[in-house]
Amino acid sequence: MNRKIMTAVGTAAAVTLALTACSGGAAGDAATEEPAGPVTISMAGWDLAAVPEFQTLADAYHAANPDVTVELKEYPAGNDYDTALTADLAAGTAPDVFIVKNLKNYITFQAGGTLLDISDVAAELDPATGGLEAMAIDGATYAVPYRQDSWVLYYNKDLFAQAGVAEPDGSWTWEDYDKAAVALSAAFKAAGSTATGTYQHGWQSVVQGFALAQSDGASLDSGDYSYLEPFYEQAIALQDGGAQPTYATVTTNKLTYQAQFGTQQSAMLPMGSWYIATLVKQQASGEANAFEWGIAPIPQLESSTAGVDNTPVTFGDPTTMGINSAIDEAKVAAAKDFLAFAAGPEGAAALAAIGITPALIDDTVTETIFRLEGVPTDDLSKFAYTTHETLPENPVGEKTAAIQTILGETHTAIMSGSVPVADGIAEAEERVANEVG
Amino acid sequence: MTTTVVDHPAGPLGRPGAAPRSTQPWHRRPGDRLKVRNALIGWTFILPNFLGFAVITLVPVLTLFYISLTNSNIFGTATFTGLENYVKLASDKSFHTALLNTFYYAAAHIPLTIVVSLSLALLLNRKIRGAAFFRTVAFFPYITSIVAIAVVWNMLFSPEFGPINQFLGLFTDGELPGWTVDKDWAMPAVIIVGTWRDMGYYMLLFLAGLQTVPAELHEAARVDGASAWQRLWNITLPCLRPTMFFVTVMITIASFKVFDLILVMTDGGPGQATLVLSQFIYNKGFVQFQFGYASAAAVVLFFICILVTVVQFLYNKRKEA
Repeated sequence: MNRKIMTAVGTAAAVTLALTACSGGAAGDAATEEPAGPVTISMAGWDLAAVPEFQTLADAYHAANPDVTVELKEYPAGNDYDTALTADLAAGTAPDVFIVKNLKNYITFQAGGTLLDISDVAAELDPATGGLEAMAIDGATYAVPYRQDSWVLYYNKDLFAQAGVAEPDGSWTWEDYDKAAVALSAAFKAAGSTATGTYQHGWQSVVQGFALAQSDGASLDSGDYSYLEPFYEQAIALQDGGAQPTYATVTTNKLTYQAQFGTQQSAMLPMGSWYIATLVKQQASGEANAFEWGIAPIPQLESSTAGVDNTPVTFGDPTTMGINSAIDEAKVAAAKDFLAFAAGPEGAAALAAIGITPALIDDTVTETIFRLEGVPTDDLSKFAYTTHETLPENPVGEKTAAIQTILGETHTAIMSGSVPVADGIAEAEERVANEVG
Repeated sequence: MTTTVVDHPAGPLGRPGAAPRSTQPWHRRPGDRLKVRNALIGWTFILPNFLGFAVITLVPVLTLFYISLTNSNIFGTATFTGLENYVKLASDKSFHTALLNTFYYAAAHIPLTIVVSLSLALLLNRKIRGAAFFRTVAFFPYITSIVAIAVVWNMLFSPEFGPINQFLGLFTDGELPGWTVDKDWAMPAVIIVGTWRDMGYYMLLFLAGLQTVPAELHEAARVDGASAWQRLWNITLPCLRPTMFFVTVMITIASFKVFDLILVMTDGGPGQATLVLSQFIYNKGFVQFQFGYASAAAVVLFFICILVTVVQFLYNKRKEA
């Protein structure tokens, strides 16, 4: 009896696994014929009520191509998006087009055969499309960036004026930034205010993203993370000197960067360009205080990349979309055309109109963004928004996800003061060698 | 089970089932038909539950065992890799840390929760004014959202502005604990909150157990001059043994499986100070998509839970004997 049950269960498990294993690759290298008649393609998105970009792209594409309808399938927000999408992909029930939300998972989706090769779509895109180059795996592209936020420095012009500290002029290195943060904090303290010079959120990106992008020869795969050291020394010095809330306060009190900068609790904030739209919205609704603000290029490690006559180096992962390899062959052409639209100038214009930074920033996009009410219009803000070399925080690689988990733990250990900077980094190097190889 | 009544060979109502058994096995006996019918009735009763168990628990667990022997990343074809994942686990320092942390949590959380919940139950088993109110208050943490608990306790534990350290600061000028942002204090902080959250539930179980302690035993002991401590030790606790056994098994399994509280409170940090096995499995599976490797770690956790439970059963059996 037991043997029979075991056999039945084993067979069921094997069939289930075989089915899930075979779910990908139905379309394969399908010929991209032009669709005949109306076509409906489905697309995965998350939190559709709060994140309008998916509907915006779907509507814009349908307006330009009335024969094709893009139907949205809602997934949970946050990290649950990847979990739920992964389950659907494995079960063969995922939508035709899906967003690769976290770049570090792109390689897993690709290696799992869930993404269609769309090198032909990528080849037609403007080479200036942010993050496009980083999407190539062995010469082929499986997802194209449609939005790419880059990290810039937000600053409160009113608080700078009150403290009598010179505003950023685009030439700042991290040293200049530190000096300004300390001077601002001292001025606020003297005036009886609890505001701090800057606010660096608790994420590992805030330290490690810049370190990886700006340090010469830095690479996640190298196993050498000594490039993190000066950036951690700087972050610790800022919190020890009172120029920024401590990591303990940030995490235990669940501080949000929106509240810290929006309610003028800090005069500077290194953050992604997505915050432009949020801040404008929050100032309009009263959730954030009314004050003059601007954006400046993120401070640089070396003065050689600083200044408005240079191209500052910053970081940011592109948000990309790809085509489910299990898509119906008849829909492939429409899906590819939709991706080319979303990642191209038309999609970029549609996204810019709702305050989102597309992967392709052209003059139309810049004009549209800076025409939005509440967005600062000074030259430095425009420069910071348009001119930068943005490197990925999670370079495409098989080991990226595992390494980032280890470096994430290193970040909390160092920032909480549990280990000295050098020891924490040495431990990370040892763990990467031991656990990732 | 109800079938035992129907199955009675000599039913009180003189049904055919009451007929004497035939001595000729090749003849179909009326009792056999009844047996089959009763068996079918029995199966009907347990089938929905068994099907649910098979689909939701048995198949996934068996699949888990299989996946742990592969390099599955959920997509594509999983290659059978034999014991490779287990060999890798044996030398994985993060796994060792998670294992040690899990034992640390369990070793402190199990006795602490038993002592606190039993004390509460003994206290609130008395006929005191407002006992029902206090029982409700003690049970409240158990039904409160875990995320809300984590947020509030994190604020209470804030090293700089939290009320706990402000209170402790009244008694000492020395260095105060860093709680959730200190590698040495993070686990004690999580254990305190875990105990606080679970005490109400186990208090209820102990309260139910205390109702079964015969009052006359206490009265007799009191007449014989036994002190309150002697009555607790020699009457209450022995009478509570079945409840104590059940509670211990439940807390032990819950302690080894602890996940949600730590995930929202410290996310395993700082560093790996509160990384437990469940989170290790979650990280490997759902963050790094190494489902084969995560399954191997889950199998280890499964066997730890089984082993500890079996030891407890054996110990209890020996005590009963």
